Amino acid sequence: MGLISMQTNSETIVPSLQLPLEDNNGNELDPKVKKYLRGDGANLEKLKDKKLKGQLAVREQLYGKSAKAAAQVEKWLMPSEEGYLEADDLEKTWNIRQDKILSEVDILSSRKPFDLVLPDLGPYTIDFASSGRYMIVAGRKGHLALIDMMTMDLIKEFQVKETVRDVVFLHNELFYAAAQKKYPYIYNRDGTELHCLKEHGAVLKLQFLRNHFLLASINKFGQLHYQDVTMGGMVANYRTGLGRCDVMQVNPFNAVVGLGHSCGKVTMWRPTSAAPLIKMLCHHGPVSAMAFHPGGHLMATAGMERKIKLWDIRKFEVLHTYSGHAKTLQFSQKGLLAMGSGSRVQIWKDTAGNQDYSRYMSHSMVKGYQIGEVNFQPYEDVLGLGHSQGISAILVPGSGEPNFDSWVANPFETPKQRREKEIHSLLDKLPPETIMLDPTQIGTLKPPRAKEQLTKQEREAAMEAAIESAKQGSNKKKTKGRSKPTRMQKKKQDEIVKAKRPFLDQQLREEQQLLNKKPKLNEEVQLPLSLQRFARKKAT
Amino acid sequence: MVEKKRKARGEISRSEKKGKKSFQSKSNKKKNSKDEKKGPRLPSALQREVDSLNPRYSDNSDEDEEEVHDTDVYEYNEAQAEEDSRKNRRYDPVDNLEYKLPDEFEDENLSSDDDDDNVDHAGESKSGMDMSDDSEDDVEEDNAGRHARMLQKITGMPAEIFDGMKKKSGVVSETYPESEYNPSQDILDGDGRITIQDLLVPLQQKRGYSELNKRIRKLESKSVPVQTPISKVVQENVERKVAYEVTKKDITKWEAPVKRYREATTVIFEKDTNVGFSTVGAIASGFKPRTTFEKKMDSLINDSKVVEAYKEDGTRLLELNKISIEDVMDHKNSLAKMRSLLFRHEMKAKRIKKIKSKTYHRLQKKDKLKAAHADIDPEAAKEEATKQEFKRAEERLTLKHKNTSKWAKRAIGRNLLGQDEGTRVAISEQLNRHANLTRKMYTMKDSSSSDETSDEDDDDEISPDTIPDGVSKLLTKAKEKTQKILEEEDEMGTSGVLSLPFMVRGLKKRKEEANAEAKLAIEDYESSLKQLEDTNGAGTSEIRTSSGRRVFGAARKQPEESVNRTKSDNIDRDSDSDYEYKANDNFDVDRAGNGALQKEVPLDVNTLRGESDTGNKSVYMSFDDTVRDPGPKTTHEVAIFASNSWKKVGNKNVSNGKDKKSVVVVEPTWPHQDLKEVDKDDTESEEEMVDGFLSSGTKTDYELPSQEDLIRRAFAGDDVEEEFEKDKLEVLNEENPEPEKPLILPGWGQWTHIQKKKGTPSWLLEEHESAKRKREESLKKRKDAHLKHVIISEKINKKKINKEGNTGPNTVLLNVEKLHAKSLPYPYTSQEAFNMSMRVPIGPEFHPAASLRALNCPEVVKTPGHIIKPIAIEEVNPHEKDEQRMKGQNQKTKSHKTNNVKAAKKMKIKHKSN
Repeated sequence: MGLISMQTNSETIVPSLQLPLEDNNGNELDPKVKKYLRGDGANLEKLKDKKLKGQLAVREQLYGKSAKAAAQVEKWLMPSEEGYLEADDLEKTWNIRQDKILSEVDILSSRKPFDLVLPDLGPYTIDFASSGRYMIVAGRKGHLALIDMMTMDLIKEFQVKETVRDVVFLHNELFYAAAQKKYPYIYNRDGTELHCLKEHGAVLKLQFLRNHFLLASINKFGQLHYQDVTMGGMVANYRTGLGRCDVMQVNPFNAVVGLGHSCGKVTMWRPTSAAPLIKMLCHHGPVSAMAFHPGGHLMATAGMERKIKLWDIRKFEVLHTYSGHAKTLQFSQKGLLAMGSGSRVQIWKDTAGNQDYSRYMSHSMVKGYQIGEVNFQPYEDVLGLGHSQGISAILVPGSGEPNFDSWVANPFETPKQRREKEIHSLLDKLPPETIMLDPTQIGTLKPPRAKEQLTKQEREAAMEAAIESAKQGSNKKKTKGRSKPTRMQKKKQDEIVKAKRPFLDQQLREEQQLLNKKPKLNEEVQLPLSLQRFARKKAT
Repeated sequence: MVEKKRKARGEISRSEKKGKKSFQSKSNKKKNSKDEKKGPRLPSALQREVDSLNPRYSDNSDEDEEEVHDTDVYEYNEAQAEEDSRKNRRYDPVDNLEYKLPDEFEDENLSSDDDDDNVDHAGESKSGMDMSDDSEDDVEEDNAGRHARMLQKITGMPAEIFDGMKKKSGVVSETYPESEYNPSQDILDGDGRITIQDLLVPLQQKRGYSELNKRIRKLESKSVPVQTPISKVVQENVERKVAYEVTKKDITKWEAPVKRYREATTVIFEKDTNVGFSTVGAIASGFKPRTTFEKKMDSLINDSKVVEAYKEDGTRLLELNKISIEDVMDHKNSLAKMRSLLFRHEMKAKRIKKIKSKTYHRLQKKDKLKAAHADIDPEAAKEEATKQEFKRAEERLTLKHKNTSKWAKRAIGRNLLGQDEGTRVAISEQLNRHANLTRKMYTMKDSSSSDETSDEDDDDEISPDTIPDGVSKLLTKAKEKTQKILEEEDEMGTSGVLSLPFMVRGLKKRKEEANAEAKLAIEDYESSLKQLEDTNGAGTSEIRTSSGRRVFGAARKQPEESVNRTKSDNIDRDSDSDYEYKANDNFDVDRAGNGALQKEVPLDVNTLRGESDTGNKSVYMSFDDTVRDPGPKTTHEVAIFASNSWKKVGNKNVSNGKDKKSVVVVEPTWPHQDLKEVDKDDTESEEEMVDGFLSSGTKTDYELPSQEDLIRRAFAGDDVEEEFEKDKLEVLNEENPEPEKPLILPGWGQWTHIQKKKGTPSWLLEEHESAKRKREESLKKRKDAHLKHVIISEKINKKKINKEGNTGPNTVLLNVEKLHAKSLPYPYTSQEAFNMSMRVPIGPEFHPAASLRALNCPEVVKTPGHIIKPIAIEEVNPHEKDEQRMKGQNQKTKSHKTNNVKAAKKMKIKHKSN
């Protein structure tokens, strides 16, 4: 009997389940599918080659199917959505205090916020591992502590007895680099000093490029260093030439390093070019903080002249300008913007979806606490604060990515998985050349560039060099009659002529081109106005 | 020479014929082309055959032949000589057709010979072939021609009319007998022909004649002149054309499959492995009853009534389940029989099982004995004791085992002990037994129980039936002890330092708290005692301790738990304290390193634990004191991960006295001297710090900016922009250098007045202008042309870069260009198409597994060992798309599957009903 009833139940349920599914196909999945399609396909109508057209059409079809499948799978793989604070009509979300939030959230989340008062060892900076599981805390006066955020375990704590200006995790929680008084050092999980990176000098800010395994640092003299942490080689070392700089952020989208300078400029660097890719004048006062949106299209900068600006870094244009101070800025995984100034933290949110950020939450510490750094914990709705009196964490609903991908970052990683992942990420390590403003360009056709014409002198020099090398070429010792001095001489002459030829040929070609071009110009120019109508007739 | 001659002759004849032909063609124009009949163009071999058969034919006269041609309808007649048509240029072109023989040329050869020759010239014109050299013929021909022309001129009628006249009046000069081979003139003209009627005449008497006649008449009446067959070449041509059309049409059937193969992204050559049924249900669904039994079962199972009843209601099933009384009786009987059989069998087995060997019984006896010893049942023990006593007495009386037996005596007497080991062992065993049996009662106890221990130990060993008692005892004990301690504390000394008023106060306070705690503990004990009495069950594991100290430990635990219960969101207490200790240890190590500079903090895990008995609060208070006191050296109290300093922001309401009381672990001190490196801003606000917990008010705090700051701010925007512009210009100049100004070396070209007037030469100026324009254009093309505040570097760093950022020998090649395709790969013609085709990465990370295979499938998939057969034609509608077909198949399989499932379900139901 039970079976029958079940059967009837399922029969009734199935259609009701299916109906919304169909609706979803029409509406809900569309943006997701679009995301997985990664842009539109080529316009096949223009193609003349039928075979290619067919092939591309098939490919596009497959891509479409795959995107659809991915979007459908996403529904099951990423079940949870981020939730935001929602206020009633009269209430404002930024008036909701932490204790109010705490009384509402579940037990697990309510355990996450904390205040750790460490008044003596100076302002603290913090950094989270990519999975969000671990936090490294560095007090200015040499206090380093590694904390497991899930169990709130203190894994290791030690005193380096030196100024520590910044600390950053390397590829996993086993290694972290601390910028100390003279040099940055790399420590392991147990607090053992592994390396002293003397070449970097007195580093003010550190950043780690995860996909490239590069440790980027900016030192007191405004020198930017890139060091490969796998092989240890120094990849690049550039002078910014803009003085002391302690604002540094990596664009997570393309791994371009952004620096904020005291002259109000923001420069963007990659390890393969000595000149900055972008140099933009963002503020009139010194740049106090900057942050990149994880999507790679937004940049927030704060200047000392009481301005916070949002930039579209695809077009390098200001989107919005707000007035206010910010000592530190940070975008969360879901695009919330946290800014800390004084003892107050504000979190802004793009409510309308048009990059116009507005107040979302605010939190005040005890008066007198100076917030030095705000940092969102990945995959958690937690904002870590490093301030002059220790560290704190507050809850910011909707800040973290709710679904983690265990192949990317797994907060519940076992040691075995970690080892496995380390190997994988090493194998997938990207070479430093891949850092460019638009990484989607990789693999496409080389962008057309204006031919770099050598100047006449350079060309002549090249020719000279070629001739010289031809002259130097040693002759083979040949049989008796064949290496007579006359013959040798002749041969040498031949060689020289051969070396010269390409240059002369090129010159000739250019001249020819010029000649070909000139008459046209002359014709157009020379025809008097009265005769031009006749000329047109002639042309047709 | 001979050949030449022949050729020449041939040519003559041709030329002669030509004249005639031209004449003929003239006349032909007026005639129907159909009427023109000429001899066939036979292959030379055939011609020769014919010639040999018909000698007359070979050297016949011109007219004769013409007549033959006239009448012979079936002979093929070419409009134009093949060589004249010049098809394919197969024949040598003859330049001089007008070539004439020299006048003095004499023809020696006879006609017959010549004819043969002419046949050899197979390719030549018909006229050439049947040409006779007779001059008379020629003359006659000429005459005829002239005559015709004359007539034409006179009458003004076409020459053909007269032509026919002339032909009819032809004279047959030969005198051969008329025969099949030499038809008479009449026959040739058609007058004396044999008609079908003639042939039919002999058949008149035969049966079926009339019918035949009728048919023939019909044929005749309807008869249409049969057209002349077209030439073989043309016919072949036509045939080929038709064949081509047909095959063309036929071959289109291959188009679809070939196209499909060509367009397919992957061609799969695999064996069509049809696994067939995959599930039990599917197999079951295909079951068909075969044997009579199965059929019977099936009819029962599929009885519509049963199924219906099953579906609708259970009660009806009962109705259908009618059984006759006899059946029931039979069933009962059979069951009874089975049962009795079973019973008998069981009995038998029991009996057999009971039968055991001697050794078994002996061993069993031993075991029993042992068991009896172990048994502590007093009654049984008593019985056992009496038994034992009896045995002992018996032994003493009989001395059965004291080597008194015959066998033993004999063995000893014969002195076998030394020789035979077996007997020796046996005898000693016997003696042993004797000793055992004669031993006194109390000695038997020795082996089993150890020496007497204290009562308490005895109590410790709690036998299962006494557990509740033990627990209750413990609890009562604990209770008593706590009470005692309470009393003791009351009696605490009141002398010395403790007598000081503040100390007294403090002590009092502490005592009160401790008392409260103790009372709580007592209450707890009581409650648990009650519980124990109620349940009388196990659960003693919670209290493992019996000492007084531990009682307090337990007492401490209780309130903690309660606290935890009240604020469930708190961090686990135990783990926290662990960390405290750990941290403490760590710092101890650090301290050791630091040496004398540091001050020892008397903090020990054990002491902490131990002293917590008397009251946590007091201990920690004292710690605080010790830390705060220590004199000149600045010490820092850093509470890291102390559970209480992890104050939850929103958890203010929970912060009661209990909470405060608990651990504030003290960190070791660090000498300040070590940390001279202190930035100004670090310490700025330290004095203002509010020690304690963070408030979470939403008050804003705005600091007044310092004077310096204000000034900087005020002058901030002054020259930044200008600077930037300059900067940008610099970069632009660097990347697109400005052309050099046309410079003339002073003195050069300025010798005279005129030259000076001319100024710089125009070509120089022009060059400069063009360079300028070029630069401007390139500047306009720059991405940052419209962005005033941005410089986008367009420098290409092709050079090798070494560690110092300069070019040099020790370089690492950082080539950006290798990440791009150098040129468009073959089939692509547009860059856009290529770039777009590259936009989606192909890899397992980027696609769901289901669709990945299709994306990176190779062009040909072939299982090893599979033979690739040639393409077979399938009747496929070419307009139907592959996808649709696939869909159709899918649907089919789906429907099949669902059927299967349904069937399986049905089967299940059926089984249930059974």
